[in-house]
Amino acid sequence: MLGPKVLVLTGEGINCERETAFAFEKAGAVPSIQTLNEVIKNPAALREFDILAIPGGFSYGDEIGSGHVFSLKLKKHLGAEIKEFINDKKPIIGICNGFQVLVKLGLFDHSSDRQIGLAPNTSGAFMNKWSRVIPHEKNNCIWVKGLDKAFSLPVRHGEGRVVLKEDQVYSDLVERGQIVLSYESDINGSYKNIAGLCDETGLVFGLMPHPEADLFKATSPEGSENPLDFSVGYEIFKNSVNYSQSIQGKNL
Amino acid sequence: MNNSRIEVTNKFQGHHLLGWTSEVRDVLKFNLERIEESKFYLLETDSKVEESISREVLSDPVLDIFEDKNWVNSKASFAVEVGFKPGVTDNLSKSVIDAFQLFEIESKISTGKIYWLFGKLDRVEAEQVSREILANPLLNSIKVMTTNEYLEKDRFSNSVLPVVKIEGAGEVQAVDLEMSDKELAALSIERCLALTTDELHEIKNFYKKEEVIQARSLAGLPNCPTDVELEVLAQTWSEHCKHKIFAANIEYKESVEPKYGPKLGSFKVDSLFKEYIKDTTEKIKKDRGLEWLISVFSDNAGIVRFDKNVDLCFKAETHNSPSALDPYGGALTGILGVNRDILGCGLGARPIANTDVFCFAPSNLGDHDHGKSLPVGPKPPRRTIEGVHKGVEDGGNKSGVPTVNGAFFFDNNYAGKPLVFCGTVGVMPQVLKDGRTTEGKGQKPGDRIYMVGGAIGADGIHGATFSSLELDENSPATAVQIGDPITQKRVMDFMMEARDRCLFTSVTDNGAGGLSSSVGEMAELPGGATVNLEKAPTKYPGLKPYELFISESQERMTFSVESSSASEFEKLALEYSVEATDIGEFTDSGSLDIFYGSELCAKIDLDFLHNGLPQMNLKSSWDGEIYKRDNWARVELPAAYNGVVNQSQMEEHLKNVLKRPTIASKEEYVRRFDHEVGGATHIKPFGGENGNAPNDSGVIWLGPHGGEMDNAVAIGCGIAPRISLYDTYLMAQFAVDEAFRNIVSSGADPEQVCLLDNFCWPDPIFHKDKNIDGDHKLAQLVRACKGLSDICEAYGSPLVSGKDSMKNDFRGKNGHGEDIKVSVLPTLLISAIGKLNINSSKQTALQKEGDQVFLLGGLGSGLLGSEFLETTQLEETTLPSIDLKKNFELYKNIHQGHIQKVFSSLHDVSEGGMAVSLSESCFGGDLGMSITLPDDSNPLEALFNETPGRFIVSVKKDETKRFKALFKEAILLGEVTSDSTLKIGFQDKKLIDISTESLKETWRTPIC
Repeated sequence: MLGPKVLVLTGEGINCERETAFAFEKAGAVPSIQTLNEVIKNPAALREFDILAIPGGFSYGDEIGSGHVFSLKLKKHLGAEIKEFINDKKPIIGICNGFQVLVKLGLFDHSSDRQIGLAPNTSGAFMNKWSRVIPHEKNNCIWVKGLDKAFSLPVRHGEGRVVLKEDQVYSDLVERGQIVLSYESDINGSYKNIAGLCDETGLVFGLMPHPEADLFKATSPEGSENPLDFSVGYEIFKNSVNYSQSIQGKNL
Repeated sequence: MNNSRIEVTNKFQGHHLLGWTSEVRDVLKFNLERIEESKFYLLETDSKVEESISREVLSDPVLDIFEDKNWVNSKASFAVEVGFKPGVTDNLSKSVIDAFQLFEIESKISTGKIYWLFGKLDRVEAEQVSREILANPLLNSIKVMTTNEYLEKDRFSNSVLPVVKIEGAGEVQAVDLEMSDKELAALSIERCLALTTDELHEIKNFYKKEEVIQARSLAGLPNCPTDVELEVLAQTWSEHCKHKIFAANIEYKESVEPKYGPKLGSFKVDSLFKEYIKDTTEKIKKDRGLEWLISVFSDNAGIVRFDKNVDLCFKAETHNSPSALDPYGGALTGILGVNRDILGCGLGARPIANTDVFCFAPSNLGDHDHGKSLPVGPKPPRRTIEGVHKGVEDGGNKSGVPTVNGAFFFDNNYAGKPLVFCGTVGVMPQVLKDGRTTEGKGQKPGDRIYMVGGAIGADGIHGATFSSLELDENSPATAVQIGDPITQKRVMDFMMEARDRCLFTSVTDNGAGGLSSSVGEMAELPGGATVNLEKAPTKYPGLKPYELFISESQERMTFSVESSSASEFEKLALEYSVEATDIGEFTDSGSLDIFYGSELCAKIDLDFLHNGLPQMNLKSSWDGEIYKRDNWARVELPAAYNGVVNQSQMEEHLKNVLKRPTIASKEEYVRRFDHEVGGATHIKPFGGENGNAPNDSGVIWLGPHGGEMDNAVAIGCGIAPRISLYDTYLMAQFAVDEAFRNIVSSGADPEQVCLLDNFCWPDPIFHKDKNIDGDHKLAQLVRACKGLSDICEAYGSPLVSGKDSMKNDFRGKNGHGEDIKVSVLPTLLISAIGKLNINSSKQTALQKEGDQVFLLGGLGSGLLGSEFLETTQLEETTLPSIDLKKNFELYKNIHQGHIQKVFSSLHDVSEGGMAVSLSESCFGGDLGMSITLPDDSNPLEALFNETPGRFIVSVKKDETKRFKALFKEAILLGEVTSDSTLKIGFQDKKLIDISTESLKETWRTPIC
């Protein structure tokens, strides 16, 4: 049986599309890397996919704000199709720049006006560092199923500080199981060390760290005797593939 | 047209503002409290823009404040408005234009920043802060006003965009070269040609040939060169493009017998490049029967085969002169430029790793007199470091290429020109779908010429010739430009897809010389080209034909495309938001024919263009090692060595060395480079549990890049400019050895290593007024080449590509109005890549308590050229020596050790000697070491000498037997301890006993 079909968006300065596609492929999916321009030409084609991924990078050079122009373009041309994708209970992941795009689309907000933002790190600078993240015990995200212990992922961003318009938003997010990952310590000033969020359905997942750069032990910072063993990042992609396959099973 | 102005303030102000504030307070001593920042946008749109749209396009509801008209940050003392001068690249504006287009609004945009200065400073001070810290007057328009003045100015009702006003479209001039030598020299300076009078005579004589005059008359061209022709010849014949010094005929003699390196006698070299570089590689290839050298010295980068599926290409470049004038733009275009070399290698390779090596003056140079002692023109060291670093950060990060290896080297002599080396490793499939091998190019007559990427502007005119001149305070601002990484990223994505779909027959980058070089070079194979310059997209109207042809505006590649593929090529470009323009055709006419509309403005004989440059004849004379340093701005000399060997003295020595800027931790800088994008970085710049221990090399795993799953490439570099003070022959060898040690330490196979050479020299051509020791500097170059060639042969390691930059001098005034000349140390950067298996790699951080610590390669000796001697003066000492045979044997054994997995950790001994190497090994976690120096050693020399060919290794106790079988001469130094302390003893004395935390804190002394 062929694995689920994954659309990996690229173009305009996205730059993690290849390793993101590689991750899905290793996890048993069939990824297809397409530019946003190409997808826009035929928005209905989004229906043919089971999973949507917006990888990391510097779309439009992070100018105006990270993910800003890319999200405007998505909203303008694919807004309805993305809504339909979510209604069809298909998983979406946004990593780093992709997370910034999803936040700007308001996918994690409960109200129509935006409450959540990703601001420049408190250091004001880009940083690349492996950081420990802890899965939130009450999260309902399908992407981190089975992950309950802290693990390390590479963090590579300049604007990853989660900010909330009001403190109340945080308890609402907790309440709805939307807080997925938190950093073990404060690395960028993020509200309560939030590293990743999901929407209420648990299918739309956005995170600043890069699980696609932690597929194998070969890229672990401390080195490994068995570099071709899978690492934790792989589990995240595998979860979405398993989910899609279970849904497809039900649909048959 | 509707003009308007919008201002937006981010609620989360950046940390760089804090850094600038403390610099203003600490260095300039002004009473500045803080700086806040807002952005402004000047809009010129085809219709009126609703506020709701501007708001959505230009601000984020959570992060930004969309300011009211005529607001000011009222508590600030000054408003400093920093915009772009007309024609300067404004990347933010490009994204804004794209964003407005989503709302069907066509716009012209200019952006800028408003800095709000708080505190009690006066206008003169505010102006100085603006000019020196907040903006670069070469690129920016700067307005300094009190907040009240700013409010009263009513800036919102008259917003005018900066516009480039030039007129010259289609203008072609004939340049009559019938003039005196003095006039020719003046012409060369006036037009920034960087041609000698001899070379101008050669051109003049060519145009006087009967057959040339006849042919030109038939074509309707004058009997002297047009300005287009002259400019093309100047670009192509520039030192930058033709490497005239490396190709020169050089007489070498030794007026003094070399004291440290070998005596070479007197001889003539036909061409340094041919004799010492190309022939060396050929010889190694033949002697070793190397099959993995796929393409060397013939393309933009060298290509090697370390993998069954993919080939690797490797190239490093320098961008020194632009970085001196605009450090950010200079470095940014440097990294993007070398990426394009890789993109344009063969039929296109994908950049998978960047390297960067910087030689700077120390940040505090000139602080004692507010920079008055520094050269006027180049940016002061602190700005240079900050700008270059940010340029490489944006260049690499935004292109999605990880920066995995590099170095910072500090010396006063880099205050006139910093050296900014940028390197890139690329990967390409060995064969394309249609069966063509990827390493070759195949443009042929009839193929269309496409210019792809950015548009042409006046920026970057004369870059190639400019870099072939020394800097002075009047160096042209047009030579400086800012890169646009996102435009280039789009080009990169597009061309990888176009390559895999086999849509083009050849490609090369537009670097120095712009189209004139790229089309000129590509025309050689088919035998000619016709270009229609009026078709080339421009940033603004009014550029003259010669400007269009030689402009170095960034982010452009030139392709040859078969007519049958042209429409698919153009369609694909659109999909990637890339501009691709058909600007002509390759021919077999034997000439480069340039049209503007119907007017022929140049017809250049290709043979003359590429082979007409006369070889230079130069003399060189070795005048001995230089004991006296050209420490033109040194304020105080280091303390004299007091001969005391006790604990407090030795600890102080160690700390002084650890905080030397060349040695001190660069983690804060390196972590701002994305070193893992691509998801394939196997060994990262820093390792250990806490990520603080510096690794010896960067390793990129090839599995995710289409290579074999367990295969990888290790990337390292070596540089030893201070050894040039004694003998450049040894300097070259020390550099090669360091690059080798770096990658061998991580696990690379020393028998599968290739090297790049990048020479950056002070002007080596004698001039009786301007350069009286030119002959000696040329002799230093000859010796460096000979040393390089000898070590390459000894290590069996081929040079696969290289570059040189020959005029790294500043001649001008300092802030006191005094004449000064600052020349770089003769510098050679060696970059190395080697094949590595990911099952047998190791890092530098200690692993386990009880592991045995050994020194491999012996104790070494000699402190000359060391970092230690920059901290303490010592009358009697020698230069370390290098034993090539012994070292290479050791490297092969180390590789065996990796395969047999006998090591827990390895770290090579480099700057700062064994003491620094031992310290750094402890910085990765909580472990320490207890070390005893051999009884017969001289502790000071043992700890701080920088003799090549040595490593500190830790070995599990139960592996020591197998270890010793491989390394009979290993010196047991001690063992790894659990107490987070570095203890070093000698005989019965304790020399060092410091907690690793305290050492680390010293080592983390900021370099800037």
